[in-house]
Amino acid sequence: MSPYRVRSQVPVGALQGALGAEHAAVWVYGVVGAFVPDALSRRLDEAATAHQARRDATQRILIDAGAAPVPPEPGYLTPEPVTDAASALRLAITAETDAAAAWRSVVERSPADADLRGTALEALTDAAVRATRWRATVGATPLTVPFPGAP
Amino acid sequence: MLTVGTALLLTGPAALTGCSSSARAPSGPDPLESPARRAEADAALAQAVVQTQTQTNPALAASARALAEDRTTHATALRAELRRARPLPPATSAVPPPVAAPAVAAPDLSAARTALAQAARAAQDEAAGLVVTLPGYRAALLASVAACCATHAALLS
Repeated sequence: MSPYRVRSQVPVGALQGALGAEHAAVWVYGVVGAFVPDALSRRLDEAATAHQARRDATQRILIDAGAAPVPPEPGYLTPEPVTDAASALRLAITAETDAAAAWRSVVERSPADADLRGTALEALTDAAVRATRWRATVGATPLTVPFPGAP
Repeated sequence: MLTVGTALLLTGPAALTGCSSSARAPSGPDPLESPARRAEADAALAQAVVQTQTQTNPALAASARALAEDRTTHATALRAELRRARPLPPATSAVPPPVAAPAVAAPDLSAARTALAQAARAAQDEAAGLVVTLPGYRAALLASVAACCATHAALLS
């Protein structure tokens, strides 16, 4: 298979959206850490590390496809002011929800049988599970949604 | 150019007939049939747990109720996609055996919780396996089903 065919099958737009969501999630977990109790720091660190790894891997995929990865935004607007642990964790839920939506779009736009499908499914699933765990932590209901990432 | 056009006109109908007969008569069950049946079986299992555990274990009953609701929503969406793809009901010989999922609630707390967690994990695995091969729209639908089942498995384990 020619390298040009491989490049054309990579859904660059959807991947740039996923990269943008990962940039935002990395920023969010940096903010959240300042507001939540130490008891949650291990879970926060795991989430932050996971998003950093996704960000780096997505950048590599885009570069391999001949695209310039989008940079992080200079600043992010939060849906509500972050003033305490509860509002900080709601921001984390928003970041995970956004990541799930972005990765579902990568699933939809990737060719069948491509490794990228599996990568995107894993990212969608991880984001959905983290969102549910944070909802449980803050007591948000419902804890689950039937179609994580769906518009 | 004219010659080519004439040739296409002459061979067109035969080619179209061959194409449509193979495209409109797919063999074997639709790959969404199994996840649809599994979603229905899981919903029935979870509903049975709700009924037996509401008094004694309200927390588990709440988890089971959430699972029943989400799996019912999955079944509805998968059935809708099945009907869209094949408006006519499948021949009886093409119906696959039902997914083995007992709609009988385990009597005690830990057994009921384990049964629900295993059902959610199995549903996640089945949907995830289909994500890799299906066309884009269906792949995204099954990806969300897999992710949802993963969230239930995480809460139940």
